[in-house]
Amino acid sequence: MSTYGDRGNVICLERRLSWRGYEVKVMPLDQSATATDISQVDLLVGGGAQDRQQEIVMRDLKGSKAEALRDRIERGTPGIFTCGAPQLLGHYYEPALGVRITGLGLFDFVSVHPGPNARRCIGNLVIRVTATTLAQELEAITDSTPYLIGFENHGGRTKLGQVEPLGQVLQGLGNNGEDGTEGAVYRNAIATYSHGPLLPKNPFLADWLLQTALTQKYQKPISLAPLDDTLATQAREAMFKRLRVRAG
Amino acid sequence: MKNQLLNKLRLGLAVSVAKTVTSLVRILRLGAASVLPGEIASRIQPQLLEKLSSQVVQGMILIAGTNGKTTTSLLLRTMLERKGYRVAHNATGANLLNGLTTALLENTNLFGHLTVDYAILEVDENVLPKVLSSLQPKIILCLNLFRDQLDRYGEVDIINQRWREAIATLPLETIVIPNADDPTLSYLGQHLPQQVLFFGLNEPEQYLDEIPHAVDSIYCPNCGHALIYQGVYLSHLGDFHCPSCGFSKGKLALDSCNWPQILIGLYNKYNTLAAILAAQQLGVDEASIRDTIANFHAAFGRAEELKVSGKQVRILLSKNPVGMNETIRAVQQVSGQTTLLVLNDRIPDGTDVSWIWDVDTEKLVEQGGTLIVSGDRVYDMALRLRYSQNGNCPNNHLQLIIKEDLRDAIATALEQTPDGETLHILPTYSAMLEVREVLTGRKIL
Repeated sequence: MSTYGDRGNVICLERRLSWRGYEVKVMPLDQSATATDISQVDLLVGGGAQDRQQEIVMRDLKGSKAEALRDRIERGTPGIFTCGAPQLLGHYYEPALGVRITGLGLFDFVSVHPGPNARRCIGNLVIRVTATTLAQELEAITDSTPYLIGFENHGGRTKLGQVEPLGQVLQGLGNNGEDGTEGAVYRNAIATYSHGPLLPKNPFLADWLLQTALTQKYQKPISLAPLDDTLATQAREAMFKRLRVRAG
Repeated sequence: MKNQLLNKLRLGLAVSVAKTVTSLVRILRLGAASVLPGEIASRIQPQLLEKLSSQVVQGMILIAGTNGKTTTSLLLRTMLERKGYRVAHNATGANLLNGLTTALLENTNLFGHLTVDYAILEVDENVLPKVLSSLQPKIILCLNLFRDQLDRYGEVDIINQRWREAIATLPLETIVIPNADDPTLSYLGQHLPQQVLFFGLNEPEQYLDEIPHAVDSIYCPNCGHALIYQGVYLSHLGDFHCPSCGFSKGKLALDSCNWPQILIGLYNKYNTLAAILAAQQLGVDEASIRDTIANFHAAFGRAEELKVSGKQVRILLSKNPVGMNETIRAVQQVSGQTTLLVLNDRIPDGTDVSWIWDVDTEKLVEQGGTLIVSGDRVYDMALRLRYSQNGNCPNNHLQLIIKEDLRDAIATALEQTPDGETLHILPTYSAMLEVREVLTGRKIL
């Protein structure tokens, strides 16, 4: 699934690896992908889609394919699931029109669209990462409190169960616009409503995903060579300034 | 009787107030007055759009779709005017309800009499159902449905469903002209009770080498199975069929090989074909149609060409992934070496700029030359271009210049353009208005 510029996350991960001399293969996990394909993946990326496509994807993601994906996430394969993808990893999603779609139940949350005439949650989003382990590891990479900057655009509202939220909303609406939480983290899988090109503007999160994937793949600690992220820093500062959010 | 008189008075009052507002806005240089007069007059006479549209002598033509409305309208309007018809048109691209009303008010006298033969109205894709509840068009052109400004509306599927419901209730003599190459519109056309004439391409030599990323409806609109494309012309427009239910593209009413096109870019071939079909239905002869195409001048900012300080400048509005992929393709086809990209995120642009990651900017970077970036979200665009490069170091055949200030960016871009070459400017909507203001001193017409 890829709507709303979700490809930005894939482009970012792929380039940051190839710039460092790694060979990367991007495998689309579409209808033609098999359970074996899924079980060979080192890093998972999921994006958004229209309600109808969400339903098509879920119809496809059954049986051995669903088990393979569940197995990857349970074993700690890192993943970034944005926009609509998380809704399919929770217990269920109720779209604006049509019937409830049962999810994989990996994340302990449910998502409900309040109806076609309900306001969409739209706008720039800034969060402080609060998920304990992730926050610590990101701090080790950035040497400062990790703030994520993105854009949300979703009709559905998500209510968390026992799962840990990804962060605390400083600007925007987040999971449901009520409890101040945004996203969720389960093992090394991250769910967030901040869609699309989340990673290019948060390069430390991209590097955390890559580092985690490489460490698992090669079974030894890997540290990544630094890259020139001046443009990302400038883009972040411009947005923090505009939103008058004090980050850092 | 009393009611009728009251209604007439109300109409007169609405018109005169609107005209006063137009004069004031223009005298005070507050803008082009393309929305506010309609807004105020509609408050005085809520059925204003209905009352005015019923006076259009020959009929109304509505043009809907994500991309190409302004260019197609202008072309059709020029064809009709050539035959001596008087045509009302919301030429500034104000395509929400108040913009449509304003366009009709412009041609209305103080007694509330509208004096035009035809009205061509560009209609925003989400407003079309509402418009159809207050007026009955003679022709509806459905150009395409791409992903655009989703932060305003939601999704292509929902829009398409609303169109189908709204058009199906119109009189049977309404002529619907949909794009056959767009699967959702082909499906729409094949399920309407009205007279439907499809336009589209039958030129396999124009197929893209690979299916571009910005594709949103490749699933069969009938059964949900993945569609098979023999070839793609642009985005999800192409020659397709569904292997599961047999759905395929509508039968074309025109052979596209027989007709020339306006301006540059394949997307303008679609716009040309749509206008031809409509003109034919309105009785315009072939010679006049061909002559208008040959002598056509672009609408503001749509492949518009200007001469600035001795340099040639071409402005190619780029407001969504499909549009921008096509403008990049057009720049490549004419081997443009200097390009200015201006990314804004104001309401008319859509406040969400993530769409730039769905654009194949890699093509622009591969071509090399000089790229200058500016706009409200200059660093987001710069970042997109950085991630379009293969190597960790910038390519040595590519020069990337970042300028926050638009005037500065334009001046630099002009300097960087060698004599005899064309500077291409790819702006979002509000950025296009700003660019024109800097280059010509005026925002619109």
